[in-house]
Amino acid sequence: SIYLQKGLSSTFAQEVLERDGPNELKPPKGTPEYVKFARQLAGGLQCLMWVAAVICFIAFGIEISKGEISGYDDLYLAITLIAVVVVTGCFGYYQEFKSTNIIASFKNLVPQQALVIRDGQKNQINANLLVVGDLVEIKGGDRVPADIRVITSQGCKVPNIQNTPRTHPILFRSTVWLSGTERSYPYWLLSYLYYILNICECMFPCKELEKETLQSVYFPPLQVCLSLTAKRLARKNCVVKNLEAVETLGSTSVLCSDKTGTLTQNRMTVAHLWFDNMIHAADTTEDQSGQSFDQSSETWRALGRVASLCNRAVFKPNQETVPIPKRIVVGDASETALLKFTELTIGNIIDYRGRFKKICEVPFNSTNKFQLSIHELEDPLDLRYLLVMKGAPERILERCSTILIKGQELPLDEQWKEAFQTAYMDLGGLGERVLGFCHIYLNEKEFPRGYTFDTDEMNFTTSGLCFAGLISMIDPPRATVPDAVMKCRTAGIRVVMVTGDHPITARAIAANVGIISEGSETVEDIATRLRIPVEQVKKSDARACVINGGQLKDMTSDELDDALRNHPEMVFARTSPQQKLIIVESCQRLGSIVAVTGDGVNDSPALKKADIGIAMGIAGSDAAKNAADMILLDDNFASIVTGVEQGRLIFDNLKKSIAYTLTKNIPELTPYLIYITVSVPLPLGCITILFIELATDIFPSVSLAYEKAESDIMHLKPRNPRRDRLVNEALAVYSYFQIGAIQSFAGFTDYFTAMAQEGWFPLLCVGLRSQWEDVRLQDLQDSYGQEWTYSQRLYQEYTCYTVFFVSIEVCQIADVLIRKTRRLSAFQQGFFRLVLFQLCLGNLLCYCPGMPNIFNFMPIRVQWWFVPLPYGILIFVYDEIRKLAVRRHPGSKYFKSYPLLTQMSKCTHTACLVPVEKYYWFCQLIRISITSRADLEVLGPPAMFFFSGGPDKMDFFVKQNAIL
Amino acid sequence: MPANKDGDGGWKSFLWNSEKKEFLGRTGCSWLKIFIFYVIFYGCLAGIFIGTIQAMLLTLSNYKPTYQDRVAPPGLSHTPRSEKAEISYSLSDEDTYRFLTKAMKELLEPYSEEKQTDENQFEDCGENPAIYKNRGELESDMGKRKACRFKKSWLGACSGEDPHFGFKDGKPCILVKLNRIVNFRPKAPANTSLPVNLQGKVQANLIPIHCSSKKEEDAGKIGEIKYHGMGSGFPLQYYPYYGKLLHPQYLQPLVAVQFVNITQNTDLRIECKVYGENIDYSEKDRYQGRFDLKLYVKS
Repeated sequence: SIYLQKGLSSTFAQEVLERDGPNELKPPKGTPEYVKFARQLAGGLQCLMWVAAVICFIAFGIEISKGEISGYDDLYLAITLIAVVVVTGCFGYYQEFKSTNIIASFKNLVPQQALVIRDGQKNQINANLLVVGDLVEIKGGDRVPADIRVITSQGCKVPNIQNTPRTHPILFRSTVWLSGTERSYPYWLLSYLYYILNICECMFPCKELEKETLQSVYFPPLQVCLSLTAKRLARKNCVVKNLEAVETLGSTSVLCSDKTGTLTQNRMTVAHLWFDNMIHAADTTEDQSGQSFDQSSETWRALGRVASLCNRAVFKPNQETVPIPKRIVVGDASETALLKFTELTIGNIIDYRGRFKKICEVPFNSTNKFQLSIHELEDPLDLRYLLVMKGAPERILERCSTILIKGQELPLDEQWKEAFQTAYMDLGGLGERVLGFCHIYLNEKEFPRGYTFDTDEMNFTTSGLCFAGLISMIDPPRATVPDAVMKCRTAGIRVVMVTGDHPITARAIAANVGIISEGSETVEDIATRLRIPVEQVKKSDARACVINGGQLKDMTSDELDDALRNHPEMVFARTSPQQKLIIVESCQRLGSIVAVTGDGVNDSPALKKADIGIAMGIAGSDAAKNAADMILLDDNFASIVTGVEQGRLIFDNLKKSIAYTLTKNIPELTPYLIYITVSVPLPLGCITILFIELATDIFPSVSLAYEKAESDIMHLKPRNPRRDRLVNEALAVYSYFQIGAIQSFAGFTDYFTAMAQEGWFPLLCVGLRSQWEDVRLQDLQDSYGQEWTYSQRLYQEYTCYTVFFVSIEVCQIADVLIRKTRRLSAFQQGFFRLVLFQLCLGNLLCYCPGMPNIFNFMPIRVQWWFVPLPYGILIFVYDEIRKLAVRRHPGSKYFKSYPLLTQMSKCTHTACLVPVEKYYWFCQLIRISITSRADLEVLGPPAMFFFSGGPDKMDFFVKQNAIL
Repeated sequence: MPANKDGDGGWKSFLWNSEKKEFLGRTGCSWLKIFIFYVIFYGCLAGIFIGTIQAMLLTLSNYKPTYQDRVAPPGLSHTPRSEKAEISYSLSDEDTYRFLTKAMKELLEPYSEEKQTDENQFEDCGENPAIYKNRGELESDMGKRKACRFKKSWLGACSGEDPHFGFKDGKPCILVKLNRIVNFRPKAPANTSLPVNLQGKVQANLIPIHCSSKKEEDAGKIGEIKYHGMGSGFPLQYYPYYGKLLHPQYLQPLVAVQFVNITQNTDLRIECKVYGENIDYSEKDRYQGRFDLKLYVKS
């Protein structure tokens, strides 16, 4: 019927939408907010504190009932405990609330789309705007946007085929369409089939999280870190589906990337032209910022005319304001490329074509392998017809007898034919698609005006034409990709290209973006160079390797592992999505943490198998997005690298935060140990410890999570997740037994100072405990013979608590300073806000009236703040020495747990030169400025250089090199 | 954990790996290095610690405490000590108060006549309260200072002549002293600040002590209270105290409070207070300048 072709009218659809509301399932009733909050209040530690508080209340109650209120201590303690639980609970709740919100907001960033037919037109709309009765088209990989009834289908395949046994089966929302195309209309089943949805979700279950390290540590900064990073990544076009993925991303050591769309721009673009016996490079940048070629030649005029006229592609209307490269074109890929190219170089092609009225045309077909059209000339007085033709270069050349050189028609002799062959091979070798162009002015006597051209009979000249030139096209790499690949290399991440494209194209792009570095050879290259059979080449000599799908099919998994191990630069061409899975598995067998990009339905297994699956936001199918851990909104490879960087940052920051938090456990523990063993009056009370743990130290540990990246973060080898855990031996030992020990000594120094200055000398303190704590003893003598009542001693004890607290705070300030950087020196980032915060809080606790009786804090003398200062400085100096050692002796067995600098980045900041092998030197020219001969001599006698600094720098370098 | 590091052997081989001769994942040599490192590390730390403490001690005076803000104003302590602010005993059973009187005897031991004979260490300071006895600056070169004699006999019925300190007869004594504080000179109270029944009766140069019942209704039950001692208070010539080193023989003045006619078999709450211009009381410290006590005499 007409309905099945045209669908609903958009006005009617709008009405229905208003009547029924959007096509959305009510989100499952999540845990109510108050339950979440209650959960925060009922953790293990919190429960303990509740119990303690209740006991305090009971004790207070008993006192009241006895009628003797000796003091409000119990009440205060109970209130304190409850306050602490509630405050930390609020904090935890807020954090959870924030991270849930972030994840929820990500869902809106990648809305589900549906292709709907309304008013006879296909439109892409958000799935929630579908209404009952809409016609929907579904193709393989889509998630079914609503409950639908299938009307027509081709090779339909869905995972849950339990549906109604009719000719028009009903499909439920969220089912993934595995293959085939489909036309159907939403058939709303009331959401009684709620659980079906859940079944569907189960088909793509969340990846098993193997993050015991993360989950076993309950740690407030963790959520902060993760949600913060996720937010930061979203701003950079990476949407993370689960927060832990961010952290895994940081340990990525192999990145298997698609080519089309990820490394490249996913649009054919004219890359080279050959005319006047010269190869001209066209501008392939995304924003047309590059240089154009010399357009003054007559030959170019002719070639441009052929390219413009012999082209069926047209721009879709109403796109005048859109920049040319972004306009939508109706036509195939290479015609689109040519159209955009000519539009850019000649300008207003539609108008131009109008001036050369088209008489007839023969479209491209695979037997002819050419396309031609016949036009009237621009000049109304010139009555000749112009025949223009394009096609496969060798076919075009066959039909030509002359060649246009600098506007002159020269006979096409052997010499020109050879020149043509060379150019053709060169361009083909670059992996580009080459087209030949030629034309002829038809003789006006033979073909006068009104002549009936018959395209089937070909009743006109199709040989002896004049060859104009070649134009080659390629899907050019994105501008940011070479830098990103370079960044991966310095970060010790291996980039493996996996593509369905032709090996030559794949290799050309790989070389272009730096996946295969300059000077790297494949086994075949070496064989050709040395003129020996491929079998005799030592495989380890070849850095690069291109394997195509056919070869891969015949390889055993051991052979594949070998290949991956032997050749650092790998390109897989002509691969099927299933083979992607094999490659991922092989990398994982070699112990790598693998990130994989994918867009199609068939990529899902590989995405799921990989440690990090990355789906494309634009080109990706819903199935791929479902299976992935991360979605790239802009499909850009460079965004992945940003993600890796963020992942590394988060790991570093968590480590810092944990190290900071661990450290203070020792100075909190030792007072009690000394109290028990040496029987001194208690130096540090429980409430004070509570305050350190839950008040003064929260802010710094969270702030460490917000820390910026250390500048060499992308110059380190990927961390080995098995060895370099979040909390490892070295970190714990260092925090506990070294920094923690220093802090304890600081505390005790301050404690003994405060005691001695009030009249209790250190030696007297030893063994004093039983007398000190004797409530009946109201006249205990100190070192001067003065007699102290019990309460006086108690307040002195509180003074000690406070002094010890202050010592820990001062040392923790030094600690936060040293933790800010793990390897680099700490003399950069401002931390004064932090210090100010800690000092203010410390002062508030010490000097606020009422504190002594409620929280056991006493106002202390100013000089006692400064006693721990030397120890703080000691911590700082000690750690700077350690960092110096780590930097000086990277990889030494004493610093096993520190990540290593990669080969490529073992360099100073002035000259970034690293011998990669005997002959190859890498040189990041962006970083170094070669100003003198001496600088060049530093470079040594290299055979090859790799530049990532652009052609202008290359020129400069070559010029400089000439001096030598 | 470390056991699954290599995945072979488990914790047993982790404990002692005979193949590599590793104990807890390290060779003996490695452990030795670690041991030496920590010996040096903690040695240095301990050195710094001891050095700092020594340096700090050097800044302290042997005679004069750096700060006295925690110990002053002085506490008022009594012997025998109370158990949970309560002294209770039974008249008929000597065991219930023997330890109480024993503590009092011990306190009075240095106050015996024969111990105060050394003229180099003791001097008479008169029989009546007088002004402070200045014995020079704390930190001068004068060496040890003399102490005022305090005659036990001033304590009358509570001087220890009666070995039971009146406990046996239901007239218990309590010895009260003002806690010693180096260089502290208690000031006699202004007349107006005294409770009504002390006004006008107080001698000059004396810190008077007064005990009364804490609860109004017990007022009659306590009966007469006798204060033995020089001028029934703490005479000022015994101050200031020069500290343990300069004043080793120092005898602080005592006051014996005797409850002559106390009601038996009743819990009686008694509060004793000393009065002086620089003597304070604190809500939190129930022994500062006063104490209270529950007295229970079982017949």
